[in-house]
Amino acid sequence: MAETEEKQSAANIVLVTDGGSVPNPQEFRLINAWSLSLTLAIVSLFGLCLIWPEPYLRILLYLPDGIVVTFQITLMSICFAVPLGFLTGLGRISKNRFFKLIASTYVEIIRGIPLLVQLFYIYYALSRFFQISGITSAVVAISVCYGAYMGEVFRAGIAAIPRGQTEASRSLGFTRFQTMIYVILPQAMRTILPPVGNECIAMLKDTALVSIMAVPDIMQRARSFVGTTYLYFETYTVIALVYLVITLLLSKAVSIMEAKLNYYDTKSR
Amino acid sequence: MKTSLKGLLLAAALFCVALGGLSCQAQAAEKYVVASDCTWPPFELLDENKQPTGYSVEFLKAVAKAAGFEVENRNIAWDGIFGGVATGQYDIVASSTTITDERKKQFDFSDPYFEIVQAVILPAGKSIKSLKELQGLKVGGQIATTGIFVVRDAKVGADIKEYDDVGLAIQDLVGGRIDAVICDEPVAKYYANKKQDYKGKIQLSLRSQEKEYFGFTIKKGRKDLLEKLNRGIKIVKENGTEAQLIKKWMGD
Repeated sequence: MAETEEKQSAANIVLVTDGGSVPNPQEFRLINAWSLSLTLAIVSLFGLCLIWPEPYLRILLYLPDGIVVTFQITLMSICFAVPLGFLTGLGRISKNRFFKLIASTYVEIIRGIPLLVQLFYIYYALSRFFQISGITSAVVAISVCYGAYMGEVFRAGIAAIPRGQTEASRSLGFTRFQTMIYVILPQAMRTILPPVGNECIAMLKDTALVSIMAVPDIMQRARSFVGTTYLYFETYTVIALVYLVITLLLSKAVSIMEAKLNYYDTKSR
Repeated sequence: MKTSLKGLLLAAALFCVALGGLSCQAQAAEKYVVASDCTWPPFELLDENKQPTGYSVEFLKAVAKAAGFEVENRNIAWDGIFGGVATGQYDIVASSTTITDERKKQFDFSDPYFEIVQAVILPAGKSIKSLKELQGLKVGGQIATTGIFVVRDAKVGADIKEYDDVGLAIQDLVGGRIDAVICDEPVAKYYANKKQDYKGKIQLSLRSQEKEYFGFTIKKGRKDLLEKLNRGIKIVKENGTEAQLIKKWMGD
């Protein structure tokens, strides 16, 4: 009985993500998809810069402040989106109908509006009522958007823990709050972390959209470089490689974290 | 008798049509695709039917008529407009492109068809006397336009904000998030004087000294097209069409 339930709930996990797939932590071979992509990206990036410093090196050296802005927006958005997603996830499975309604409405509304439209809305449309800087608008829009996606990830992760766990813990005298904190969440974390990590990586890629609000991120740096030199091919090649290297490194970080969380699982197998 | 007359007329009519068709085929005018970024009034904008119009677009149409070719207009985002002409997605860029040395290295330009200066727009009630006074201010403009280049090259220490189109920059100026907007002078005039929403909120404050010239941009080495454009521009300037267009689009 418990087993079938477990299987069912495992099947219920919906990975709501458009991030790059996290490298498999059990993959120990030297050549795998991740190492191959990273090597290719780094070799081509630095190869291009060494062989043709003009214009490739010039393009690369034009970017650092853009990379800083991109990271700044991503990190700040993660700081807001993850707690927001967690609260939303809890709201979605809450027994309290009010919280459930609020959380579900939020997810439905935000999920149905493209991020680009949200950015325009917060920065340009709402400027009639209050004005926030480009970077703040970016962080607000991205956090709100990804908070909704992550809410679904948290909900699915928590829902995937078999009911028996809650029943056992409640019968041992834990309160519902204690059950959630000490029993459900530690187990749910393992299912939740990879997709949340994916969302964070997707978030970094989506920060490329903020260049529409005159925020000087990597993408905007590239566009203004192209605007003066008209080297479309060269510039966007470098930009693609820079984004690729960053996201590959991040996905490795997520995969290491995942491996740490699953330490005992892998040992016992 | 009557019928034969009818038949004769019919035959004559058919003959004429056929002849017309033939002669049409003989001089089948070449059709060129024209790209304009329609966010730059009064030079390029969209009319009520979402078709490109404006000074540059109509000027080129007049040129085409004079030089005997046809054009098909497309609305293309400014950001990649030079890339598209380089790869041959369209033949001509008619989008208020200033002829600069940097651009001339990559593209060919027709003879100049319009002369402008850059202008700085400020909120109503403020004014500056030189670009130097932009130091420390947030100056907006359309990404990769000569206005941005002018502020950047002046090295006055302004915080430059590059927007996707100049309308968004002006929206931000009216909102108060930036302190100034730089763009081509006729565009500045259009926004400051002709847009009802912005009346009394913004004003044109400073004009740059250096003159810029607009040219139609084409892929490097297309001599035939360049020759046609220049021939047409010459005719349009001489036959009074230019004056009409200036009156139509720039007149107060």
